[in-house]
Amino acid sequence: MSRRVLIGTIAGAVVLAGALAAALTLATGSKKPSSAVGAAAVAQMFHGIPQQGPILGRADAPVTLVEFADPQCPYCGEWAKVALPVIVSRYVRTGKVRIVFNGLTFVGSDSEKALRAALAAGRQHRFWNVIELLYENQGTENTGWVSDSFLHRIGSSIPGLDVKRMLSESSLGSVTSQIGQAAALANQAGVDATPTFAVGKTGGTLQVVQLRSFKASGIEPSLDAALAS
Amino acid sequence: MSDRRLRAAILALSLVGAGIAGYLTYAHFADVQLVCATGGCETVQHSRWSKLGGVPVAAIGLAGYVVLAATAASATDLARALGAAAAVGGFTFAAFLIWVQGAEIHAWCQWCLGSDAVLALIAVAAVARAWRAAPPGGASSRRAPRRPGSGRARLAAPARPRR
Repeated sequence: MSRRVLIGTIAGAVVLAGALAAALTLATGSKKPSSAVGAAAVAQMFHGIPQQGPILGRADAPVTLVEFADPQCPYCGEWAKVALPVIVSRYVRTGKVRIVFNGLTFVGSDSEKALRAALAAGRQHRFWNVIELLYENQGTENTGWVSDSFLHRIGSSIPGLDVKRMLSESSLGSVTSQIGQAAALANQAGVDATPTFAVGKTGGTLQVVQLRSFKASGIEPSLDAALAS
Repeated sequence: MSDRRLRAAILALSLVGAGIAGYLTYAHFADVQLVCATGGCETVQHSRWSKLGGVPVAAIGLAGYVVLAATAASATDLARALGAAAAVGGFTFAAFLIWVQGAEIHAWCQWCLGSDAVLALIAVAAVARAWRAAPPGGASSRRAPRRPGSGRARLAAPARPRR
């Protein structure tokens, strides 16, 4: 085999590797114009896990993790993208932990619009799919990025979600009360930053957790301690 | 370095790479926590980039190292060329995954980076091995026996000693 043929063979392999990289990029949903970024991965992450409104996981999970977060808060987004997939895989899917999301809207009007859509999707047991996709596609604070068309695109990326129903139910009084209850709970717990987490035995007293990092390892010791207690 | 030594180096490096990829594949399916000094191994392994068509990227890497080891075990021209192509193609894909770790996931997996370093060394060794064995130009290294009387044979024939 000559050097010319060898170079051609190696170049072919490089092209093949590039095609593989492109396939992986497409598989993650990053380049799909019609669906939200991360749609396939988010659907896979929550597939088969029970959702009841903003609560993710089995009702009889021994430990509860309460999250206070704003849909526009960038650090909440980082935690959702980096740590949550690990926590869901290791603790929620295995029935050890359930997560309760308390949505706050202190950043601004886009927060409320986003949260209302997510809570409305919760009526169809898709709250976590919506809030996770909102974080995956998070825009710049209060620039009007949470438009109706944006929410439509997010909703259309979620299997089994009735998008029209989600959008129409986002203004329901029950959704407004859920937002008010979460805000009251945050005040009561002294939450002054997001994301804030509290962990404890389900039905027992919860302790606010000081995150060591926005990676899963930043909260896993607290979850393990609660499970062991 | 002789072909024999390059083959031994590629084989040894492929086994190291297979060990790393095997560990990551095992951790993926057994869902055990990775030993990790960089703190980002779990994040990378659970990211949406960790699978291609439902197959863990670590398992694809494991298969790749097995192929590289197989090419190192053979001394044919085809094995040399396939080894070089697989190693360079594999490293190209690995370079893309390094970019993904930094730009998309914002976390670093020490095992993945270790595997990438091993793959880079294999690529250098495999290309060197194939390049040395391949003759320059379009001729084959294993030339077909020439027919007596052909033009090329006449040109290649040693000159008769003058009387």
